[in-house]
Amino acid sequence: MNLPLVILLLPAFATLAIFAVPAGKPQVVKAIAFVATLAVLAVAILLAVTFETTDAPFETVRATGHVYKHVLSVPWVPALGLQLKLGVDGIGVAMVLLTALTIFTGVCVSFSVKERAKEFFLNLLALVTGVFGVFVSLDLFFYYFFYELAVIPMFLLIGCWGSTTKTMSRDYASMKLVLMLTTGAVFALLGLLAMYTKAGTFDMVRLEQLAATGTFSRAFQLAWFPPVFLGFAVLVPMWPLHSWSPGGHAAAPAAVSMLHAGVLMKIGAYGILRVAVTYMPAAAQVYLPWVAVLCCFNIVYGGMVAMAQKDMKFVVGYSSSSHMGYVLLGIATANVIGVQGAVYLMFAHGVMTALAFSLIGFFYEQTHTRMLDDLGGLMKRMPFVGTCFVIMSMASAGLPGFANFVSELLVIIGAWHAGMYVPAILATWGIVVTGVYLLRTVKAAFLGRMPARWEGLQDARTPFQKLPFVLLVSTLLLFGFWPAPLLSLIRQGVTPIVETLDKAAGRTAETGQR
Amino acid sequence: MNLHLIVPEVLVLLGGLLAVTVSLVAPPARRAGLVPWVAGLALAAALVALLVGRPDGEALAGSHLSDAFSRFVRGLALAGGVLLVLLSSSYTRRLDRGHGEFYGLLLFALLGVMLVSAVTDLMGLFVSLELVTITSYVLAAFKRNDARSAEAGLKYLVVGAVSSAFLLFGCALVYGAAGTVEFATLSSHVAGKGFSPLLALGAGLVFCGLFFKAAAVPFQVWAPDVYQGAPAPVTAFLSSLSKSAGFVLLLRLVSILVVPAAGTPSGDAWIGFFGVVAALTLLYGNLGAMPQRDVKRLLAYSSIGHAGYMLLGVTVVVAAKSTALRIDGAAAVLVYLAAYYVTTLTAFAVVVAVSGQGRGHDAASAYAGLHRRSPLLAFAMLLALLSLAGVPPMAGLIGKFLVFFSLVGAAEARPGLYALGVVGALGVVLSLYYYLLLIREMYAKEPAADGPQGPLVVPLGARIAVFLGIFGLLALGIWWAGAFDAARAAATSLFAARS
Repeated sequence: MNLPLVILLLPAFATLAIFAVPAGKPQVVKAIAFVATLAVLAVAILLAVTFETTDAPFETVRATGHVYKHVLSVPWVPALGLQLKLGVDGIGVAMVLLTALTIFTGVCVSFSVKERAKEFFLNLLALVTGVFGVFVSLDLFFYYFFYELAVIPMFLLIGCWGSTTKTMSRDYASMKLVLMLTTGAVFALLGLLAMYTKAGTFDMVRLEQLAATGTFSRAFQLAWFPPVFLGFAVLVPMWPLHSWSPGGHAAAPAAVSMLHAGVLMKIGAYGILRVAVTYMPAAAQVYLPWVAVLCCFNIVYGGMVAMAQKDMKFVVGYSSSSHMGYVLLGIATANVIGVQGAVYLMFAHGVMTALAFSLIGFFYEQTHTRMLDDLGGLMKRMPFVGTCFVIMSMASAGLPGFANFVSELLVIIGAWHAGMYVPAILATWGIVVTGVYLLRTVKAAFLGRMPARWEGLQDARTPFQKLPFVLLVSTLLLFGFWPAPLLSLIRQGVTPIVETLDKAAGRTAETGQR
Repeated sequence: MNLHLIVPEVLVLLGGLLAVTVSLVAPPARRAGLVPWVAGLALAAALVALLVGRPDGEALAGSHLSDAFSRFVRGLALAGGVLLVLLSSSYTRRLDRGHGEFYGLLLFALLGVMLVSAVTDLMGLFVSLELVTITSYVLAAFKRNDARSAEAGLKYLVVGAVSSAFLLFGCALVYGAAGTVEFATLSSHVAGKGFSPLLALGAGLVFCGLFFKAAAVPFQVWAPDVYQGAPAPVTAFLSSLSKSAGFVLLLRLVSILVVPAAGTPSGDAWIGFFGVVAALTLLYGNLGAMPQRDVKRLLAYSSIGHAGYMLLGVTVVVAAKSTALRIDGAAAVLVYLAAYYVTTLTAFAVVVAVSGQGRGHDAASAYAGLHRRSPLLAFAMLLALLSLAGVPPMAGLIGKFLVFFSLVGAAEARPGLYALGVVGALGVVLSLYYYLLLIREMYAKEPAADGPQGPLVVPLGARIAVFLGIFGLLALGIWWAGAFDAARAAATSLFAARS
């Protein structure tokens, strides 16, 4: 039994099953979605727990000793050497776990969707099939295939179930999101094809081996790194390509914002690590310092813009692009500590932001407004949700005890080691900025005087309503207090990448420092 | 004579004649039901004959060449023809006359497309292409009481006549320069002597005549008006089978005229010619489609954009430096053609079904809230539009992927082609915009308050066409190895040394 295949097929079959459910039976649809995503979560946990000890089929990149486990390959188009090749390394496992957690909690909070529930869950599961596909694919064609598969359901989910506010209509937001992401994707595709032309294969394990042994010349790398990197950087989103993202968050329904900020943006960072940096290390050495400069704008500018927002989803939206700046900074450090921190932050930020959007979604359903000016004193009526929101803010601001703290610390240490002193200092300051806008949000929405019209608000009361929040909060705490297992999992995938980078720079692999 | 090689053609011809005869002798009440059956069965029989017989060789004293390439195209035309008859049946039911003529003409036009793939000289080329074109004039004006349809027919006739003149004049110049109209002799003439100015002019004029069929810039102006005015099934024919005739001949002529001279200055001059036409066609089609609010007009502009992608593939064939890369380019065009066929016919099956509602039926607003009125049609249109946009897991993705694949492959030796890649990539984004607008109309809007509200009745023929289309879209998008192998075999035979 190949676990990645199971993870890919479960949501795919759930999509088909929901398709077959006759209209007017939303309960059946929701039950299918719940069971399928719970099963995926269970398999993902199994995958993570057994990853280091498993004896499943594996493949090793000889040049770096990078091991991919649970490898399965099915010939697909023999004439081109295309195969449906699945497998994961430590980074992949972390991302699969994050996705499984996000979609399960996302399905839980979507039980309140009343309008066209069947189509909603259909799109949601199609979307997540694509996301899982990206994280378990070891063939560039299918990598691209699954990525594009994930984008279109996003359009429908935002366009049909999204919300329109004074500042952002769902029509505008959904169109902008799809067009910008697709622009990035097609230019990245040109780069992927150029790699195929040079290397003659889409097999990612083989490509990694060929890249490590110098198949891609320096000139080739310098020419193709920018389109591939930028193609994925749109998705991260790197400043100044970020403008699709906050609006997309704001207009999307809760579960979609969760997936979008929690997981979809990580696909960009994952692609940068897995494709751009790994296959073109020499170019990465040249361009990554520039990335370190740009990501400072993410961190500081994103944070400052978040401060000025009045819509809570925009606050979290801009804070997401601010936090993704840390991820980019971590990657730009090109040392084990920093990159490890980046991947850990991808996980931690995914969980944290999923929590944020699920909480906002919870009270938005009752208040129908997210504007800070309209809210206030909600803690009185919703102590549970309010407390979770405060916890989320603390995690987001990088307080010790949460996974975010671990990762941001690693990123900043890594940046310092890499000699990126200014970005490291700015990143530290960014944490302060985060604290400011989140405390301000907490104060405006949950503390102070409560307008009389919110008297009737309901807190999360049933265990089922509390389940997603509890799950996400405890994940943040678990990996905040006990980071070792996840870190060692991630290190397994990160070390070979950094080794490739070091080789390209002519450094020794042991120190990983300049 | 080797008549067994042309059994499929003979079956289509007989089917066309039979359709006309049946509509003359059958009682008027039965005509609408009977004639589509005759046409559909004839096409299905021809398809079976083609697949079972796998004809290979020359027939009719060397004027009909049955190779892997022509088999691929003929198979495609017949399969597309079956879909076309199915989707037409729900349209012709609403007609009170002319059933026999409609299907007869349709089958003769289809016969022309089949013959086009097998021609071996310029005369055959002209005659078989005119068979497609002249029948199309009549079909475009089929609703003769409707001013739009009559205008479409007239416009098509005028522009088409000019392009036929281009084609014929080009053939004459080629004959004057090379002293032959036979492809094999022409090919060796070019290989030996290269392009004289006269021959280049002649070949250029011939290509221009084909650009008209393919709706490529600058011979695209007729397309939006004709597509909009012609009856929906005829538009479906024009944008699929008729367009493919142009590309089939472009591939054939490029392989015999341009490829033998590849590497020489006079041969390489053609790279710019095709590259510029491809880029302009891509941009014109996709930019022009963005403001359109009439679905048939929108699909007309988008079909120009798709012609641009196929021309990218043709440009690869011209520019590539090895036969392997040329085969990649030609195979990409063929797969694109197959994907485009099934996609566009599915889309038009929906257009035909929706257009049965009365005036203003082709406006994008008629599709508002379609998912409530007919979930099946809305879903089919969703898949078709996404396939046109090149989104997985639909057939269109594979076509685009292969075109880009061959383009980047050939660009390694000719970096100028990367510029075409960038234009193509931009085209993907532009096209996504207007397809998504229509998707939003169908799924995120409610049916217009002043328009029809109730459930939409889908006739059986259209229903079958839609199901077949959805199946084809997904099958070609997911399990495309078989189609790709067939296209490669076809492309290989295109470049095989001919006697």
